[in-house]
Amino acid sequence: MTDATANQPSNSTGKTSLFVEDARTKKRNAAEARFKFYGMLAVATGVIALVLLLISILSQGIPAFSQTFMRVNITLDEQVLDPSGNRDPEEIAKVMTFAYDPIINNSLQSLADELSAEHPEVTASALQGMLSKASKGILRSDVIANPDLIGQTVEYEFLANGRIDGYLKGRVDREIAALDGNVTPEQLDIADTLVEAGKLEKRFNWDFITAPDASELRPEAAGLGVALLGSAYMMLIVFCLALPIGVAASIYLEEFAPKNWVTDIIEVNISNLAAVPSIVFGILGLAIFINYMGLPNSAPIVGGLVLTLMTLPTIIISTRAALKAVPPSIRDAALGVGASKMQAIFHHVLPLAMPGILTGTIIGLAQALGETAPLLLIGMVAFVNNYPESMFDPATALPVQVYNFTQRSDPAFVERASGAIIVLLLFLLCMNLIAIILRRRFERRW
Amino acid sequence: MSFVKLSASALAIAAVSATAASARDQVAVAGSSTVLPYASIVAEAFGENFDFPTPVVESGGSSAGLKKFCEGVGETTIDVANASRKIREKEIKACAENGVTDIIEVRIGYDGIVFASDINGASFAFTPEDWYKALAAEHFVDGELVANTLSTWDQVNPEFPAQPIAAFIPGTKHGTREVFEEKVILAGCEHGGYMEAMMAAGVDEDTAEEKCMAIRTDGVSVDIDGDYTETLARIESNKDGIGVFGLAFYENNTAKLQVATMSGVTPSVEAIASGEYPVSRPLFFYVKKAHIGVIPGLQEYAEFFVSDAVAGPNGPLAQYGLVSDPELADTQKMIADGVIMGSGS
Amino acid sequence: MLVLWFFVLLIALCAVGYVVGRSKASASAGGDLSTLHSLLSYHGWNVALSTFMAGTLAIVLWSFISSFFEGAPTIVGVGIAALAALAVFVLSYGRISRDYRARNFVEGLVKSLLIGASSIAILTTVAIVLSMVFETGRFFTQYPWQDFFFGATWSPNFRGNSDLGMLPLLWGTLYVSFIALLVAVPIGLFAAIYLSEYASSRVRSVAKPMIEVLAGIPTIVYGLFALITVGPMLRDYFAQPLGLGESSSSVMTAGIVMGVMLIPFVSSLSDDIINAVPQAMRDGSLGLGATHSETIRQVVVPAALPGIVGAILLAASRAIGETMIVVMGAGAAARLSMNPFEAMTTVTVKIVSQLTGDTDFASPETLVAFALGITLFVLTLGLNVLALYIVRKYREQYE
Repeated sequence: MTDATANQPSNSTGKTSLFVEDARTKKRNAAEARFKFYGMLAVATGVIALVLLLISILSQGIPAFSQTFMRVNITLDEQVLDPSGNRDPEEIAKVMTFAYDPIINNSLQSLADELSAEHPEVTASALQGMLSKASKGILRSDVIANPDLIGQTVEYEFLANGRIDGYLKGRVDREIAALDGNVTPEQLDIADTLVEAGKLEKRFNWDFITAPDASELRPEAAGLGVALLGSAYMMLIVFCLALPIGVAASIYLEEFAPKNWVTDIIEVNISNLAAVPSIVFGILGLAIFINYMGLPNSAPIVGGLVLTLMTLPTIIISTRAALKAVPPSIRDAALGVGASKMQAIFHHVLPLAMPGILTGTIIGLAQALGETAPLLLIGMVAFVNNYPESMFDPATALPVQVYNFTQRSDPAFVERASGAIIVLLLFLLCMNLIAIILRRRFERRW
Repeated sequence: MSFVKLSASALAIAAVSATAASARDQVAVAGSSTVLPYASIVAEAFGENFDFPTPVVESGGSSAGLKKFCEGVGETTIDVANASRKIREKEIKACAENGVTDIIEVRIGYDGIVFASDINGASFAFTPEDWYKALAAEHFVDGELVANTLSTWDQVNPEFPAQPIAAFIPGTKHGTREVFEEKVILAGCEHGGYMEAMMAAGVDEDTAEEKCMAIRTDGVSVDIDGDYTETLARIESNKDGIGVFGLAFYENNTAKLQVATMSGVTPSVEAIASGEYPVSRPLFFYVKKAHIGVIPGLQEYAEFFVSDAVAGPNGPLAQYGLVSDPELADTQKMIADGVIMGSGS
Repeated sequence: MLVLWFFVLLIALCAVGYVVGRSKASASAGGDLSTLHSLLSYHGWNVALSTFMAGTLAIVLWSFISSFFEGAPTIVGVGIAALAALAVFVLSYGRISRDYRARNFVEGLVKSLLIGASSIAILTTVAIVLSMVFETGRFFTQYPWQDFFFGATWSPNFRGNSDLGMLPLLWGTLYVSFIALLVAVPIGLFAAIYLSEYASSRVRSVAKPMIEVLAGIPTIVYGLFALITVGPMLRDYFAQPLGLGESSSSVMTAGIVMGVMLIPFVSSLSDDIINAVPQAMRDGSLGLGATHSETIRQVVVPAALPGIVGAILLAASRAIGETMIVVMGAGAAARLSMNPFEAMTTVTVKIVSQLTGDTDFASPETLVAFALGITLFVLTLGLNVLALYIVRKYREQYE
């Protein structure tokens, strides 16, 4: 840059003014610009990849949050539901959902009669095919809860069948319907008629977020409630265990541990655990927590413990790096004014290392939240229909629900899988937001 | 110091957990991912119709399910194992070693396996022999084995279009692969007389069978370790592809897939039930008898599963694509009587 | 159940201990708190922590010992633990006085807790080995080890008689991870450098969390992306024109997509590390006349190297352990080939698929998963020892 350092003969000749850049300075400045450009390019690559992925998820998943409902009047026939007429709850409970088929059919007949004057294609059986198969269950539980309904005509808003819902969302058209064995083009015509008559309506569907999963016959009824609860329980466990244990282990290894072979073993061990495929933690969970310790199958407590073990290495590695990055002068200063080693670390080093620790925690929790494989062996990749009341009850998790949805044959599950991913990302965002705000508060340069 | 607050919240959490954790009151099922959709349909309907909580149905493969099943007897072990194949002798032995001796075997019906390609592509009418010719690793020509180099379908059978062979078959982890190898490839090998030719040339039967069923690994046939949705996605990105699917999956995706006939028979629930369509396999679940009466609802679940309203030809399972078992009545009686495996029934 | 209630009561006891410990210490100071050796809170923590640790230790020891005796009732263990906790409570409460060195004692306890936390890593390793070693043993009684370790074909088979050589799987694992790191390390590192050294704080505060979201997207999304978009694209624009094959699933596809997933592992962690390099070092270098990029390359990055290597190792670890992207991107066929546009598969994929398949659970085809797991474990252990050695050798400690 200056004459003193420029020993090369090429530089000494052309050097005339400070305002004219010589060849070497130009080269160095060009290198500088290139370097900066590479950096921008790298950030842009990451952001573009994210945007692309998010666009594909959002465009597929947004429809999952709305659902088509069909308004019908149901006449609860006493002859079928309570032939003896004494409203004995036990006897009513004996009538299975299969017996509700004719009730719905009869009720739809009156709707068909009403509409068929103008639209002859409307028939009761076609209408029944447009309703969700979940309707029967809703009727039955309503009747059991309130036997007085028997004999009355009640207005219901039932979910429409997945294909009809797909038609209103533009996923199904008449060409597809002609090929599809589960819906006919006539039913799509009827759907148009019903929309005109105000009997069919698409609107936001909270049940997608709160309802439990449903079987493959009723994609329209499937929700994420159980999975959300399961994931929340597990994240609570992971956060409460992995963060303190991880930070404690890192502090010991980084600040207290004598540099000897035992510490080396622990250190290698931890980085090795990070490389263990996640399913192996599932094997461990099954062998130790379920078979040996007798914890229940499919329970978030086991999932949380397994995920804790899985995320620990990530958190420890990043925490150690963060602790390492705190300049020794901070420690020396604290010790110099009379703090004990423990106080120097907990009061001064740890807060300064917090941004790095939180980053590690974010990444670790994100990994734990998105993991399916270890849950496979401890029974959380499952069909669970009851809400877990505690950490010991069966539940699934959000990534499991995504995985399950993508495996199912009905095309209506594709949008639900993407919808589930959106919920998962929102969940992650909420978790991250806290960490990011904290990180910003701690971040500083010295 | 927020110590008091901290311990108070820890106390609250622990107290809630302590009161809530109690004996298991729902049926626990695990096993085959092929049976999973059927089992979850039944579990859902069971939860709707009975006072018992909805059973929990885990997936994870027949192997993992049976392994958990054979882990022992007691509340922490599962009650029912779903399987897309019969339990093996070795597994029964392993079960017995852990005290799981009385097992009720229930056959719920049949799963049809179909060949389907993109809806806008060419249609195919296969015979097992075509598949053998297309996918065998080595052909037996003039007394020796030569590597299979066929690359388009018209080389396999002049009636087919000149479309590259691209088969998406189940990976070696799937039970479907076994059925595919035995009922399609081996059958084609035998039917076309290739196996006879090999044996006539002095190859012993086991080796001949082995050679018949060896599938080429040069990338023409792609193993799918995932599920049918992956196969479908691969066909969508490679329109020449032909995939192996379950009948139920195909029936839900008729708008995207066209099915190929096998020996002139179009796969359907009826054709499979009558045995006309050859490629199918039975599906099972196994019940731990020691848990009946201990786990509430287990007996009812098993009975409900095979009842006519559920597993019969007009029930929801058939609606989804299960080929119902013609001998369902026998199965119902067997469960009602609690007849265990190997007791001569 | 009983154990849970025990913990509820134990925590309550600790809370009581904290309060009474404080008040006794404060009383012993006789109004002038400066005469106490330790702060009040240390006296409180002293009682609470000792009690908690005694109770927990007793219950852990009991559950360990009782697993050797059939049918030992839990109530006995809980009782013993409760007695131990109470005894320690009384003891530590009794010891409180003006000159009691509570801080030193508490710090000792905390240190032992820290040691306990770091030994969890060891325990996890032991547990992993224990949960796989028996099944691995059973595998090797049914299948010769030479064929497993040195076999070049992998083709499991329902009828038995399978070839279960792990070489093709190992090769696939290394190949996919290598390509993934080739994508993730440069991009991640440059992104980290840009964010910590060049970007304004506004850009940084937006871009960093955004890139971190990449780590949180479920891998199945990446898998589908590889299968539907990247795979066919690579096949049509690279593999076919170059005459390298027709396969839409390839090592390249999986590697690139996985590389994208790994960017935040490298960038986010490196960014924090680079950010923590003391500003004085940059100022010194800039003051000597170095350009910004020269400072970064020759001063900042070397100073941050141990942390960066840690981040890269973490990314490599994730690459080895990933399943879904490989299944959908690279396929499930085991193959030994140099061509990056061929379908291959990894050890992890096969562990998952053999464990979750339909094969007989007592047969070598399923048990091989455990052998693969242990082998992978030992291999990564070796790699990590190597990495530790390299970091030690090239590490530069400043200040």
